[in-house]
Amino acid sequence: MVEMLSYDFMQRSLWAAALVGAICSVIGVFVVLRGLAFVGAGTAHAAFAGVTLAYLVGLPPFPLAILFGLATVWVTGVMEEKGQMKLDVSIGILYTATMALAILFIGLMKQYNAEVYGYLFGSVLSVTPEELWGIALLSLLVLGAILLFSKELFFIAFDQEMAEASGVPARGMFYLLLTLIALTVVVSLKIVGAILVFAMILIPASTAYQLTHSLRQMTAYSVLFGVFCATSGVMLSYVWDLPSGPAIVLLATTLFFTSVFLSPKRLRRVVPS
Amino acid sequence: MGNPIIRFSHATFGFPGVIALKDITLEIAEGEFIGIIGPNGSGKTTLCKAVLGLMRPLEGSLQIFDCACEELRCHHRARIGYLPQKGRLDQNFPITVLEAVMMGRYGVLGLFRRPAKQDQEIALQALTNVGMQDHRDSALGHLSSGQQQRVLIARALAQQPQVLLLDEPTTGIDITTQHSVLDLVRRLHRDLGLTVLLVTHDINMIRSQVDRLVLLKTRLFAAGAPEAVLKLDILQQVYGKDLVITEKDLIIVEDYHHHR
Repeated sequence: MVEMLSYDFMQRSLWAAALVGAICSVIGVFVVLRGLAFVGAGTAHAAFAGVTLAYLVGLPPFPLAILFGLATVWVTGVMEEKGQMKLDVSIGILYTATMALAILFIGLMKQYNAEVYGYLFGSVLSVTPEELWGIALLSLLVLGAILLFSKELFFIAFDQEMAEASGVPARGMFYLLLTLIALTVVVSLKIVGAILVFAMILIPASTAYQLTHSLRQMTAYSVLFGVFCATSGVMLSYVWDLPSGPAIVLLATTLFFTSVFLSPKRLRRVVPS
Repeated sequence: MGNPIIRFSHATFGFPGVIALKDITLEIAEGEFIGIIGPNGSGKTTLCKAVLGLMRPLEGSLQIFDCACEELRCHHRARIGYLPQKGRLDQNFPITVLEAVMMGRYGVLGLFRRPAKQDQEIALQALTNVGMQDHRDSALGHLSSGQQQRVLIARALAQQPQVLLLDEPTTGIDITTQHSVLDLVRRLHRDLGLTVLLVTHDINMIRSQVDRLVLLKTRLFAAGAPEAVLKLDILQQVYGKDLVITEKDLIIVEDYHHHR
């Protein structure tokens, strides 16, 4: 254990995993409660398309990943708001279209690029100091925004129309939430990969959802599970030489099914009038 | 009654190609208790959304608190406590009673301000006003329908509103609880001096409670004291053959009951 922690790359990996575990699990609370699960999946693939384009044209991957992610969530938001089509339909179309773009960009590359596949499957153990700073900066931005607007974000997750009727700028908050989802996905791409990042957003929050009837407790439990699974998954992947993304996600999944089994909601009782 | 605080002037509301409410002219004074009735699709919920500033008139104008509804800002909306139709609430949403009531303070506080001790005291007072103070730490989804309605009324009261807007507050709850919710609304109107707009299908239950009834069927069909609105010829024009009036003067609208 001590030997493992003495390596620089392990220290960076654990810090990166802890940050990603924290932001994914916090934003996951709003994703689960507001019913935006599919948006996370769609955004991950859109951001991956941005990464592939960046490698194709020789640009840094983060800005293009952010651009693709933001464009996807905002177009999705506008489509839902205008009532043109249901959220799952619009995100489904953008999800597959951006994945097609990603495959196209990979096909246009002259040679095999292992780094691109690192963003698809996750490679936390290869996080560079520069990438860690990028992750830390974006994490700070996401967590700061959530902290600043937590009461409004909780209200729109509870009932967006009621929030708007009560004087909360609900529409603006909805777009802020979509933006934060996109940023979270981009931050997490390198750590768990485009395929599994969605699990990191969904599973810790869903695990916490099983265990409490309070918003505050759900958020606290979600962060606890997210950070625990991310850092423990990295350690397991080092010790047993496993791919890090799947190790993190499978650990989180185990915790989720345990929480379903132990959930006090299974013992739900109605208080008489 | 006090000064008019909501003024519809030849206001028409709807969506492209669909008119939900046409040419409405109506004034609601401070401190009034108004019942809004009408058959399914008559525009009752549209009227609620208009008062909340969530819909703008296609024609005519709507003034709320001396402010054109197009210019209605968040702090104006916070002066209207709103209870939406039942059935929208996710029973599994992880929220305690106090957390739900505290949400009533969020619009009043505005962005960047955190709820303080004083806000919690206001929320607790609102819970006391609806008789739910002993359930502050209960899960909202674990309460009965009547108790949930009380908590959501407390959430609206926590805004310290001037106007209380209730959309079908007694639908889907048993008859005893219906009476208790209506008694509560009546008491809040009297004790807190609130202007109350209550949308309902249940004419019999509110006819003795309200100051005025507003009868809608896309247009404003009638408005006035209950005895002036609930006349056989007026009701027959609105409800047609779906209307039955019993020997004990009870009004039964078949259309509504068949649709439930």
